[in-house]
Amino acid sequence: MTNALVVRGLVKAFGNHLAVDDISFEVPRGVVYGILGPNGAGKSTTLRMINDIFAPDAGTITVLEGLSPGPAAAQHIGYLPEERGLYPKMKVVEMIEFIGELRGLSRAEAKRRAWRWLDRLGLAQWGKNKVQDLSKGMQQKVQFATALIHEPALVILDEPWSGLDPINAEVLRQVVDEIRAAGRTVLFSTHQMEQAEKVVDSVCIIARGKKLLDGNLKDIKRRQAGDGLIALELGDAASRATAETLLADKALVAETRAPRAELGADWEVKLADGVTSQQLLAALVSAQVNVRRFEVVIPTLHQIFVDQVGASAAVAERRPEAA
Amino acid sequence: MRDLRDMLVIARRELLERVRSKWFVLITLLGPIGMVAIVLVPALLAARSAEGAKVEIVDQTGVIAKPLSEGLAALAWIPTILPRETPAEVEMVRIRDKQINGFVTIPADALDGGQIVYRGDNGSNQAVGFALRVIIDTVVQTERGKRAGIAPDKLAQVLQRASFVAQQTSGKEQGASAMGSFMIAYFLAFILYMVITVYGVGVMRSVVQEKTSRVMELMVATVKPRSLMAGKILGVGSAGLIQIVAWLAMAVLTMAYREQILGWFGVTGTGAGLPPITVDAAVLVIAYFVLGFFFYASLYAAVGAMVSSEQDTQQVQMPITMLMVIGIVCAPMISGDPRGTPAIVMTMIPLWSSMLMPMRYVLGAASLGEVAISLGILVVSMAVMVAAAAKIYRVGVLMYGKRPGLGELIRWLRY
Repeated sequence: MTNALVVRGLVKAFGNHLAVDDISFEVPRGVVYGILGPNGAGKSTTLRMINDIFAPDAGTITVLEGLSPGPAAAQHIGYLPEERGLYPKMKVVEMIEFIGELRGLSRAEAKRRAWRWLDRLGLAQWGKNKVQDLSKGMQQKVQFATALIHEPALVILDEPWSGLDPINAEVLRQVVDEIRAAGRTVLFSTHQMEQAEKVVDSVCIIARGKKLLDGNLKDIKRRQAGDGLIALELGDAASRATAETLLADKALVAETRAPRAELGADWEVKLADGVTSQQLLAALVSAQVNVRRFEVVIPTLHQIFVDQVGASAAVAERRPEAA
Repeated sequence: MRDLRDMLVIARRELLERVRSKWFVLITLLGPIGMVAIVLVPALLAARSAEGAKVEIVDQTGVIAKPLSEGLAALAWIPTILPRETPAEVEMVRIRDKQINGFVTIPADALDGGQIVYRGDNGSNQAVGFALRVIIDTVVQTERGKRAGIAPDKLAQVLQRASFVAQQTSGKEQGASAMGSFMIAYFLAFILYMVITVYGVGVMRSVVQEKTSRVMELMVATVKPRSLMAGKILGVGSAGLIQIVAWLAMAVLTMAYREQILGWFGVTGTGAGLPPITVDAAVLVIAYFVLGFFFYASLYAAVGAMVSSEQDTQQVQMPITMLMVIGIVCAPMISGDPRGTPAIVMTMIPLWSSMLMPMRYVLGAASLGEVAISLGILVVSMAVMVAAAAKIYRVGVLMYGKRPGLGELIRWLRY
């Protein structure tokens, strides 16, 4: 599979502040890829470097097999910047047309597609109004159109959900699905995990400029699940005492906690290092515990994010003491 | 190739945004009318206001009042001769009560140098002062001649004014009226100054507005900052060029039909004072406008990139505006001595050559060689300025907040 984007060893500092610190990732063609991170993680800076707004201090960026960020790559990229902004005095349709033309379309083609996008976004009757006459939400939609009009192979959306109402968030999700269905690639950044989880194929989680984790979301979940979190529910009260003794064995179980509400189980069990879920299940069965439910918990993206970013924050806080 | 296309697309947007505005159309069409009106209307009003002035004359000599009264009546004034013992206080009251406009007091020794005084509510009006002076001069001189026993026909010959006119020429062509040449030259310098400033500031405002509307990030992601800046300058400049060409065309037409136009205002005469604007002068004006505009507009663009709000622009544009003002303030000096050393030096320095050289040329004081050198210097310094501005612009456009210091600017230039 070819890559829509390859980033290697990207570094960017502003003064003394290291905004992006040695970040590498690959975005295969035809996937929806999320760069996730808390505020100030370096998401926007990374996307800006891909868009040739900043030059990296170190590292390489390859767009669509062999292009460097710059005017040639810009023809194939659509960009929704974090700083939303349009020319307030321009007519809506001309604004979209203008960006389309700069992204390589002929004027006639840009005009045709601009109207089609306005139709699609329910803004056709506003096409001849000035941008400044539109509400914030409508301007946001126009901004989406400027990112998509030239049907770019790589669509980069910086915080696409910020400022969208639920209905427009749904429209955005559909658009993203369509782009993927057409074999084109979407790269977006967000800190809204619930939204991301609905659309994303692969992710890269970053915090404080460093990459914590990346890859296909299903693989990541499977791997994280392998860390051994199990939801356990028993069939009868009699088994409870037996099970409690068994779960107290530190060789087998690292920790037993009250389950989170959404799991609806009796216990949430974290296995000791090196113990597989199969071993625990075998132990429970041989002790004749009546198991009604035994489930390897697949963490949500939110859970993975909180775990990863939380752990990295803990490390970052310990560091000054060690020094 | 791509850069060029981007630049043109951006220039087109900037041009359309300007040309479509009602103000642009209005100012382009009415600008020259406004400028002419500023000069003409007060003069016309002044000339008219002297007619019908009610003036009374108190004459101690007994010989001046009658011819003076006749002279004023010929100009459609309404003069009245009063008894010589009328006190000034009575007259002052009549002025206050608006029964008369003013009165002339002629002392007994007026023929021997005694001062004749006019007091009136229109005393500061130049036309009034001028008419009285001419008539009183003639009357007093005539009376002196009579006293000396000179025959009236001889006297008329003596008093006949000498014929004199000052003309502007470099020695090559027929002289044109000095006043006319000066007016044309000054008009050109002023138009260049105005259009370069207005559209240079337009470029700066446009850059700042891209920052405040936050559209800058989208633009910089889409095209090279250099194309963005160049396109902007080109687009805004084209609007300026349209305006300056329209104004030059109007000026040329006005010159060609000046007699008819003066006729509409009830002014008769040849109007021969004004020399025509020649084709080479017009071409030179346009060339200097384009180069001078690019020079200043790139400066303004760089300044716009350095600030992040409209308010900040007020301070940072001051130095540039001051530079231009120095040029326009020196314009009368240049036209006063267009072949002097200061004139030659100032029309070579690229900061001012764009405003002052067309003026010097129209006055016939600049050789084509000098024009070529001045143009050459301007072209080179413009290129340097555009390149430097593009670098500042490249770094500056995405900066928000603090304005860069001088040290930081120099780093940007190396970037």
